[in-house]
Amino acid sequence: MRTFRIAAAAALLGATALAAPAHADVKIGLLGGVSGPIAAMAPAMIDSANLAISQVNDAGGILDGQKLVGVVGDSACNPQNATDAATKAVNIEGVVAVVGPHCSGAVLAAANSVTIPAGIVIVTPSGTSPEITSLKDNDTVFRTVPSDDFQGRALARTLLERGTKKVAVAYLNNDYGKGLAESFRAEFEAQGGEIAGYAAHEGEKASYRSNLADLASGGADTLVILDYGDGSGLTMLRQALENGFFENFVGADGMKSDAPIKELGAENLETFLASAPVGEQSTSLDAFSKAFSDIGGDPSAIFVTTSYDAAFMLALAIEKAGGDKAKVAASLREISNGEGEPILPGEWAKAKELIAAGTAIDYKGAAGEHNFDEAGDVPGAYALFRVSGNGFEVVSEMK
Amino acid sequence: MEWLGFVNYAVFMAIFIGIYALLALGLNIQWGYTGLFNAGIAGFFAVGAYTSAILTSPFAEGRVGGFDLPVPVGWLGAMVAAGLIAWPIGKICLRLRSDYLAIATIGVAEIIRLVVKSESWLTNAARGITDIPRPFGDLAYTMSQLAYLAIVAGVLLVAYLLVERQFASPWGRMMRAIRDNEDAARAMGKDVPYRRLEAFIFGSALMGLGGALFAHFNRTITPEAIDPMVATFLVWIMLILGGSGNNRGAILGVAVVWIIWSMSEIVTDRLPHEYAVKAKYLRVFLIGLMLQVVLRFRPEGLLPEPQKRGPRPDPAASGARPPASPD
Repeated sequence: MRTFRIAAAAALLGATALAAPAHADVKIGLLGGVSGPIAAMAPAMIDSANLAISQVNDAGGILDGQKLVGVVGDSACNPQNATDAATKAVNIEGVVAVVGPHCSGAVLAAANSVTIPAGIVIVTPSGTSPEITSLKDNDTVFRTVPSDDFQGRALARTLLERGTKKVAVAYLNNDYGKGLAESFRAEFEAQGGEIAGYAAHEGEKASYRSNLADLASGGADTLVILDYGDGSGLTMLRQALENGFFENFVGADGMKSDAPIKELGAENLETFLASAPVGEQSTSLDAFSKAFSDIGGDPSAIFVTTSYDAAFMLALAIEKAGGDKAKVAASLREISNGEGEPILPGEWAKAKELIAAGTAIDYKGAAGEHNFDEAGDVPGAYALFRVSGNGFEVVSEMK
Repeated sequence: MEWLGFVNYAVFMAIFIGIYALLALGLNIQWGYTGLFNAGIAGFFAVGAYTSAILTSPFAEGRVGGFDLPVPVGWLGAMVAAGLIAWPIGKICLRLRSDYLAIATIGVAEIIRLVVKSESWLTNAARGITDIPRPFGDLAYTMSQLAYLAIVAGVLLVAYLLVERQFASPWGRMMRAIRDNEDAARAMGKDVPYRRLEAFIFGSALMGLGGALFAHFNRTITPEAIDPMVATFLVWIMLILGGSGNNRGAILGVAVVWIIWSMSEIVTDRLPHEYAVKAKYLRVFLIGLMLQVVLRFRPEGLLPEPQKRGPRPDPAASGARPPASPD
């Protein structure tokens, strides 16, 4: 036990020695999976959040001209590192709010053990698990990305509208595939459709012929593949086409990748449809894309729009709340509830004046309107795509 | 209230160290004292975490559970379940020699991880279990953390004292004899496979308890938590660095590794932004480097296993009677 106490004391001393608090800055945490399984995606997401922060600072800063600072923490996509990073951000750095963490499991752990008890608002740009909806969070957990539930349900409704009544579903066995599949099945069956086959598969296998044969035995001619188009989804699609198990194929955003077109040829994919979120072709998205391209970012990278929106909205909310941590959640709802003067990405100076004047503002984000529902979720905007030439084109909007 | 932040952070680290110390103690029983190379810590961690979660969480649609039992029952259940899972695994795998045992246990942990990820009726699959109660979780932030620290520290203290006592006993001497010279131990009439199984189950139960404490601390458990990197290999590094065969060494190793791991981020965050992000990888490198340095210059770890040597020919001179069989 002595080592235990020494450890605690050492930690305390070390932390005290290291801390050099600069009171002038307003800090927000940027927790992301810098190392770990999504290490390839995280840097662009953090860059886009930092873009929002630099726009705020370039246009006069936050509150009384103070500097907004983003403190990057590595949540590594697992609960151990996420809670550690969140504890440091909240207690050592003294952040007012947090963008992140990136992965759902990390969000759940960090929220439950750190930010909810500490009363700090977090906005995750990429945690899509439906479990986040039901957190008992005292209204402190938000997200700018739709829950997996939305897309699965929208896809089910769209297929039924198009006259497809009987399908087989193959999904990748992870939270992405499973979440989509479950919500798809629930909605499809509730609206009178028939699921003639429903099976999970593990990724990166050489052959899925036996899985496909099983699924086809139900008699459906449409296969819904909830998987990634540059991974096992491609293998599955190829083998289903080669062996003629199914005639029509439907995928979600993971399948809307260039890999199937390159590998299988557009002429073989005439019966292939894919749904994907669309950043509602808006002036907001254009404004963001231009600003992000200017600093060398790729605006079409995954989750950059949601990351940017999360950071910019938190800045607006902090401004509106006057820097008071306890009021950030309420302010976050006020600055984007569909009523008031529209604010586009980057319009910090305008927003600041309006907030100072007490005028209601409504942020129109790059990834959508972000009018939060009671659970802090946003509805998504999706469209159905088909293969055309060497890319995808929109068939219809999805409701 | 700056100092309150530091207190919160220190308490958080202490809780974490306490939880990982249980895992390290469990591994110390298996590796440090008995020489069993268990590379499947994550598996037993998962069994414990999920068992306790299922036993204590409120009812949820679509999966087993909702028993809403008191938390101590969940923790006891976690130890029993981890021990029960360890029994058949040990029965089959412990015949294998060191490196083969390591491979077999990695496989077992991977099987457990895939079961956890796939069986939604049992574990809610990839989405994990939420709403796990934390004792005194309704108190304010700092108080709630302090209360949990007290519980973790209490559990760890009890576990530490029991394990220490166990190893000072004839049983402990016998285990070391089996580890150091299996043939001699067998010649002395010890039932080697049975004793190894005992140690394996005992250690695994402690790992299960660690998993349960972790799940209740986070009030949620998802498959991401049982990644082998953070739940198996990190524990190995902690034990090797601290000193295998020494319980205090195991706990010290956990504290050193976790404090360096966690606090190095505070240091690297003082760097300019573009380096700060890259420097996150430096932390991983630092842990690896530390392990290399310790293995090269102090292979017995920071606190080596205590050696009580008497003159060999005369056992009476060492002040101890010849070890009696505990049977």
